Amino acid sequence: MTDLDLRVAGVAVSPAEGWAISWLDPARGVARLGDGRELLIALAEGSGSDWVVTLRGRRIAVSVMTWRERMLAEAEIATERSAGPISVTATLPGLIVAVAVVAGTDVVEGDALVTIEAMKMQNEVRAPRAGRVTEVHVAAGSRIGAGDPLLRIE
Amino acid sequence: MRKDEALPRAPFRRLLIANRGEIAIRVIRACRELGIESVAVYSDADARAMHVMLADRAEPIGPARAADSYLSTDAILSAARRSGAEAVHPGYGFLSENAAFAAAVEAAGLVFVGPPPATLAGLGDKLAARRTASAAGVPIVPGLSVALDANGGGPSADELARVGFPALLKAAAGGGGRGMRRIERTDEIGPALALARQEALAAFGDGTIYLERLIAPARHVEVQLLGDRHGQLAVLGERDCSVQRRHQKLVEESPSPAVTPAIREALFDSARRIAGAVDFHNAATVEFLLDADGAHYFLEMNTRLQVEHGVTELVTGIDLVGWQIRVAAGERLPGEILETPRQGHAIEVRIYAEDPHHAFRPSGGAVTAWQMPSGPGVRVDAGVEADTVLSPEYDPLLAKLMVHAADRPAALARLRRALDETVIGGVQTDLSFHRWLVDDPVFVRGAYDTGLVAERWGDGPPVEPGDAAIAVLIAGRARLDRVADARKAAGQDVVERAGESRWAVEARREAVKERRPR
Repeated sequence: MTDLDLRVAGVAVSPAEGWAISWLDPARGVARLGDGRELLIALAEGSGSDWVVTLRGRRIAVSVMTWRERMLAEAEIATERSAGPISVTATLPGLIVAVAVVAGTDVVEGDALVTIEAMKMQNEVRAPRAGRVTEVHVAAGSRIGAGDPLLRIE
Repeated sequence: MRKDEALPRAPFRRLLIANRGEIAIRVIRACRELGIESVAVYSDADARAMHVMLADRAEPIGPARAADSYLSTDAILSAARRSGAEAVHPGYGFLSENAAFAAAVEAAGLVFVGPPPATLAGLGDKLAARRTASAAGVPIVPGLSVALDANGGGPSADELARVGFPALLKAAAGGGGRGMRRIERTDEIGPALALARQEALAAFGDGTIYLERLIAPARHVEVQLLGDRHGQLAVLGERDCSVQRRHQKLVEESPSPAVTPAIREALFDSARRIAGAVDFHNAATVEFLLDADGAHYFLEMNTRLQVEHGVTELVTGIDLVGWQIRVAAGERLPGEILETPRQGHAIEVRIYAEDPHHAFRPSGGAVTAWQMPSGPGVRVDAGVEADTVLSPEYDPLLAKLMVHAADRPAALARLRRALDETVIGGVQTDLSFHRWLVDDPVFVRGAYDTGLVAERWGDGPPVEPGDAAIAVLIAGRARLDRVADARKAAGQDVVERAGESRWAVEARREAVKERRPR
């Protein structure tokens, strides 16, 4: 474990001590763990450096890198720090019920862009930052999946 | 033990369940115990759903969109005809409180497991129900007992002032919090009304909206009723459903920690009055708001099974769904049901595919792992299992975890233990909220109200440093132990499992074809 770089939300975290882990279902990543006081069922899903641990019902994204992977990742981040056009994508699958903008609309951060109905709830997708809408990929009535591009802001 | 020959004959030979998910499975289980053949219905999105696999038969009813399948009277009645069902159980939601559907079921010569259609029409319209309750001498929430203008115009400023702020827009055809909007100021009513109407139309096919004063702080307490066709009524205790988000229940318990014997007496009396004022049989729940002084106000009477019926089943030992079916067939409620004592304390938490750290927004996807608790006093009613892909078309309720113990502190300890045994993979659920709730001092004291989620949880606390340390330990170990590789290595297994279930589907299709009545 000491040869791994472990992070939650970008912050390095030392692994807890005094816990024993046994894999109940290694194929699915189901683990039983205890420290002599608590007994919990948890879950690890992922591969390589990207993991999601479900602990006490909460999904916690964990980065697990070897030191070599860590250095490579830091070198990449340094070259990517420029603000360019962004693609706004759907965070959940559903039905587009309204589109509040067209190509050419100027928006400020927080403006409502698209309303998605999923599981009978209406969810507003808002502008992540200010800019001009350059492309709209969906219309009212479109059915979309999670991660589908909705529109582009420059 | 009664001898076999003394057991009642199966009330029906075959019953169709006009629903999906965990409640369809609950009814299927009751049917199996009563010796009734169960018929599931399914939309295209549900062809391989758990309820379809567990029923004795299954009939397709159309496309994924609920309006074209689970809400289609024609599709469901034609499935009932094809399957030769004698009765229809509507579950909750969908068509369960739709009077036209109940009437169509009866017109087709089938038994509707629920009250008479006219009663549904009277009570399903929450506005009419307000007037009925008021006439029966039951206190109602102050508000306007008329529908708001359908042409977009709101109530007049005068009318609004009389109701007072904050106020609540509610759908006359409503339930489950849909079509509900809180308003703080006069100018909010226009847009709120439009949204409420749209949501109500989508959920119920009826956009009629009315206005009530919002009572806060308040607790949401409801009384479970069970009536037979011979005029007998059992009052089966109350449930406290005050832990809510978006006016939808997350947690229910019985008895209510806020209800004293005197309040209970008053609640039961009101519930009996309303039941007496309508032509009622089958299962129903009368919902009340309880204000800080313990005064209660009628909200609505739901003449159907509730999501949280299991809580009452645990404290009474009564199979509510089984009795729904038996009274629908004309059986009398025996004395031991009419006089059932309640024992111990039960709590239910609803497991939703929702992210409680992002305003409880739906979090669809595929369920990758599904580990449910067991042991004494634990009950899980689930509608999904590992490898289920959640459909964005439907309600995100995955399962209900219920516990029963001698008293409330023991029930809380049991719930805490059961939650620690539970894990669901692939989708963010509200389990993190529930795990937090069982340690929240206000909830533990039982001193909570409907504002608890908004006031005490919000989007939840940040990940505790101790939990982050455990999480990185698990992730690190998972990588070192090649858990991901294990999944790949188990690929053979997974394929075989999938193959097997496809085979089961095929076998079912064959069976359905063969058994289809000519």
